Amino acid sequence: MPLDILIILVVVGIAGIAVLTHLLGLSKPKTFLSEAQARTAWLREFPDSTVTSVTLCASAQAALIMTQAGPGIVWAMGADSTARLLNGATFTATETGLTVTLPDYGAPRIALRLTPDEALLWTNHIGAAA
Amino acid sequence: MTDQLTYPDVVSLAVPFFIAAILIELLWITTQKRGGRYETRDAVTSLIMGAGNVASGIALGFIAWGFFTLLWEITPLDLGSSLAVVILCFVLDDLRYYWVHRFGHRIRWVWASHVNHHSSQHYNLTTALRQTWTYTFTFMMVVRAPLILLGFHPALVLFCGGLNLIYQFWIHTEAINKMPRWFEAIMNTPSHHRVHHGRNPRYLDCNYAGVFIIWDKLFGTFVPEQDDEKVDYGLVHNLGTFNPIRVAFHEWVGIWKDATQPGITLRDRLMYCVAPPGWSHDGSRDTSAEIKAKHLEKHPQDRGSAGFTEVS
Repeated sequence: MPLDILIILVVVGIAGIAVLTHLLGLSKPKTFLSEAQARTAWLREFPDSTVTSVTLCASAQAALIMTQAGPGIVWAMGADSTARLLNGATFTATETGLTVTLPDYGAPRIALRLTPDEALLWTNHIGAAA
Repeated sequence: MTDQLTYPDVVSLAVPFFIAAILIELLWITTQKRGGRYETRDAVTSLIMGAGNVASGIALGFIAWGFFTLLWEITPLDLGSSLAVVILCFVLDDLRYYWVHRFGHRIRWVWASHVNHHSSQHYNLTTALRQTWTYTFTFMMVVRAPLILLGFHPALVLFCGGLNLIYQFWIHTEAINKMPRWFEAIMNTPSHHRVHHGRNPRYLDCNYAGVFIIWDKLFGTFVPEQDDEKVDYGLVHNLGTFNPIRVAFHEWVGIWKDATQPGITLRDRLMYCVAPPGWSHDGSRDTSAEIKAKHLEKHPQDRGSAGFTEVS
């Protein structure tokens, strides 16, 4: 197949599938329906950890998890979730909440949608645990 | 000798079929409300990875081709291009695929390339296209050397590799449950390959087959899909990004960070490159064998069942 036709096919194909999935409502981020669900999502990533508390944020797209190994966050990754301990993380306040920067090439940044009160509470919790 | 042998680039020719099949699967899932899941960013990342794989093949393919051409000049054997030779080449190249794939899960240097194929938490036809950009750097092209030295023309070997890749496209789906029993016994199927993409302890490191599942049965790595244990797709530690650059290179960065950290021995540095994924010099991480062993500590009733037959 000529390269120019292949490139057109690939670009139009990717763009078309992106638009179609979005229009079909498949871009909605996951929400944790309860703290128990957030805990389960955390344990899916860290099955050996001992969770001492779970704080689900109002947007339900992330939860602060306190464990015996230190604080961590479980958050929505598209329709699914992932989680990280906050070792070496830095925090920046934003207009919509908090941005967590991690020393992890595969999970470099978590953009948290938090109310001002939540942002303060989470920062205090993490600071107290550090 | 058949020096001028050429075959079509079947993977490029299959691109319209890939797109059409994805659209059909997407519409099937949406209308039937079953048979899998799609998510926009996940699908787009997978498709960009696929495009990048084709681009890297164009940019770096000359390295493997040069190596194969050199071998072809060395070998005194030429099996020609009859239909029987094509079929034999396809079967032997699938055996080659099995071992490269197994190395890809057991040697971190090769896993660094293959890991991106497993980095989606979804399992649909776009996942099939979530392919590596860095295969050349694994040097796994050497596993094809015996085929060429035996007299299979490099163009034929690559043609069979392309057909193998196309076969594997359709098995990345949850829309098909099980194929007829005879087919499941011989061929790699959606059911067998779903298991391969599982991060459940039971499903780690099994079903490496490309086309013929018989290789897994022969070499003791076959695990059937269990009706009572749904496959949980993705990595043991899932990524926190959809950025294709990070998806493509995250494990290479991990190797670099691990192997260059201060205070470890030369052996440790080497092991961070070639030991099974999850190996660490201080035991702070788990390999798949350790994950399975920990699972059995919590669930001793699973000992001896599928996926746990060789765990001590």
